[in-house]
Amino acid sequence: MKKLALALALVLCLTACAVAFADQVTVKFFHRWPNEPKLSYLNGLIAEFEAANPDIKIETDQVLNDSYKEKIRVLVSTDDIPDVFMSWSGSFATNLVKSGRVQTWDDILAADPEFKDSIIESQWPPFQIDGKQYGVPWSMDGKAFFYNKDLFTELGLEVPTTLNGLYELCEALKAAGYEEPISAGFSAPWAVSHYLGTICQRVVDPETLAKDYAGEGDFTDPGYIEALNIFKKLGEYMTKDPNSVDHEFARNAFIFGESPMVYLQLGECKYLRDDIEFDYGFFNFPAVEDGKGDPGQLTGAPEGMMISNVASPEVQEAAIKFVKFVISQHGGYEMTKQTGELSCVKGALDETNLDAKQLEAVDLILKSTEPALWQDNVTDAVIADAFMAGGQLLLTGDKTAEDVMKDVQTAAASIK
Amino acid sequence: MQSRRAGMNVMTPYIYVLPCVLLLGVFVYIPLVANFYYSAYSFSALSPTKEFVGLQNYRTLFTDPVIATAIVNNIWYCLISVAIQVLLALVIASLLEDKLFAKISTVLRTTYFLPVLISMTVVALLFSFVYHPKIGLINAALKFFGMKNPPAWTGDPKTAIFSAIIMSQWHSTGYTTMLFIVAIQGISEDLYEAAEIDGANRLQRFWHITVPQVREMMFVTMVTTVTGAFLVFNDVYILTQGGPGNASTTLAVYMYRNAFNLDKMGYASTIAVIMLIICMALAIIQNTAFRSGKGD
Repeated sequence: MKKLALALALVLCLTACAVAFADQVTVKFFHRWPNEPKLSYLNGLIAEFEAANPDIKIETDQVLNDSYKEKIRVLVSTDDIPDVFMSWSGSFATNLVKSGRVQTWDDILAADPEFKDSIIESQWPPFQIDGKQYGVPWSMDGKAFFYNKDLFTELGLEVPTTLNGLYELCEALKAAGYEEPISAGFSAPWAVSHYLGTICQRVVDPETLAKDYAGEGDFTDPGYIEALNIFKKLGEYMTKDPNSVDHEFARNAFIFGESPMVYLQLGECKYLRDDIEFDYGFFNFPAVEDGKGDPGQLTGAPEGMMISNVASPEVQEAAIKFVKFVISQHGGYEMTKQTGELSCVKGALDETNLDAKQLEAVDLILKSTEPALWQDNVTDAVIADAFMAGGQLLLTGDKTAEDVMKDVQTAAASIK
Repeated sequence: MQSRRAGMNVMTPYIYVLPCVLLLGVFVYIPLVANFYYSAYSFSALSPTKEFVGLQNYRTLFTDPVIATAIVNNIWYCLISVAIQVLLALVIASLLEDKLFAKISTVLRTTYFLPVLISMTVVALLFSFVYHPKIGLINAALKFFGMKNPPAWTGDPKTAIFSAIIMSQWHSTGYTTMLFIVAIQGISEDLYEAAEIDGANRLQRFWHITVPQVREMMFVTMVTTVTGAFLVFNDVYILTQGGPGNASTTLAVYMYRNAFNLDKMGYASTIAVIMLIICMALAIIQNTAFRSGKGD
């Protein structure tokens, strides 16, 4: 009898709970920020959102970059697809969209033009695939040469506007005793693709480049050989044996004054804040003489959020609400203040959450004509890999620019 | 016999082996068969459909220059590992068990075994500092002794794979040495005494007593070392990621990169099939050569 009473009590209790939570919608959110300070920022924001929307519960799961790339690719193709998740732009986004489970934002944005206008315009296109908007840009970035301003003033050097100017600058720095004017670390191959992506964009005809990256071309334009040779020539001014040096080491070599220049992402400003003892500035990769690409472009792409289209309408509605909350002036302001990532919401950035350098960085992004997507994101992984592997061997002298392009052509043919 | 009649029916033994068969089936045999099936398709982890390509993946495999590089690297891994982890480890073990080193052998044994206790991931991260061209231990020493242009180690396609191999030897030799020590301790002291009385010197005792007596252990270490060399992943992936270019890639690293970086799941399965065939062939050859289990 006692047992029966207990069981009855349990059933009653569970029913009561179920009733209490019946109206609550759970949104599964998968992101790539398990590290601090980013995790605290997101958790704080989620707590705020839940307090404001007691009927919505956000369930998070998170893993770091490379694991995230692998896991989200698998999840998107299954029924376990998270309701809200992060994505890079370019081919990464395209691949996720191929699963057919990513929701388009066109109708949502049409219904809420105010939200659409709240985000910096140039950041929307990288998430457009086949003319449709699949993601909402969250943070923006750009790649630029950081330089030691104090040293440049001391030696009377100017920021170069052309590639030849950059070579001359490097020669002058060498003459002044800096054997390695450009600090570089390519042990992780993506760092190679940041250089090659920019140089190819500057040199190769934009139409040809877009066609080749999309997998419709054959990479036979002579501009690629020229671009690779430019990279090889720049290599002469870089850290010796860059393939055995990692990117963080290269950055630190700049911070501690060993090399007067380094090619960094603007988001990396935050790493320079504490240790650097000299004034620094940054400039966009200079124009290449006779190059066919727009020298006003800045390499760098936004990161954004996507939602699933297989979730139930209530969940989807809650997910949209959540995305709009994260990518709002308040959410963006806090993100930049707490994590240093640059929000792409208009008005989220000002001198209260940015230091002078970051404001300059934002200025550089806004001044650029448009973002040129990261090479390893804009094209198929197989093609990007051929460029990266080739770029490493180009610097060691084990391959020529022609050899590398042959590999790229083979890679491009293999995915047709 | 009493208990057997009382508690055991015909099914009992099968019930006992069932969990093992199930686990092996789910985690080993089904994936093994599925892998052959996948290798005939071209697909990405994302796409809901698979495209049947028959033997196309195998044709690509045999013309892929990276596969050739990977196999050569695996062979180097295997040769050097056998030389050091089997042959040298046996010599070290017999020296440590010799009366000559009796006083310090415990200390040495522990020292050699210590690296085994460190996870390979940690070791690889540690060695990336040892090999670092700017702040690394090795190049600092080489520069101290007057070498102007020390090698770039992990950054040079010619030295990258050997950097990984050397690290692996540092990590694993202590383990096989320990196995040989155990085997040598099992050899009857009488044999050595008899040989000594007959006037055999150290080398002769090693060659005519130790080596034949630890043959079974040699077989075990040989199989694990050779198979390990053809499956090596961690060491290379963490230290060099197979780079620069693909210069230090191994079959396992290339398989992983195809599956998870390049999204060519079918091709990755094909590489896995080749790895399986190589390892099985080597295990069979060694089994025959050592005639294991039929010891005299």
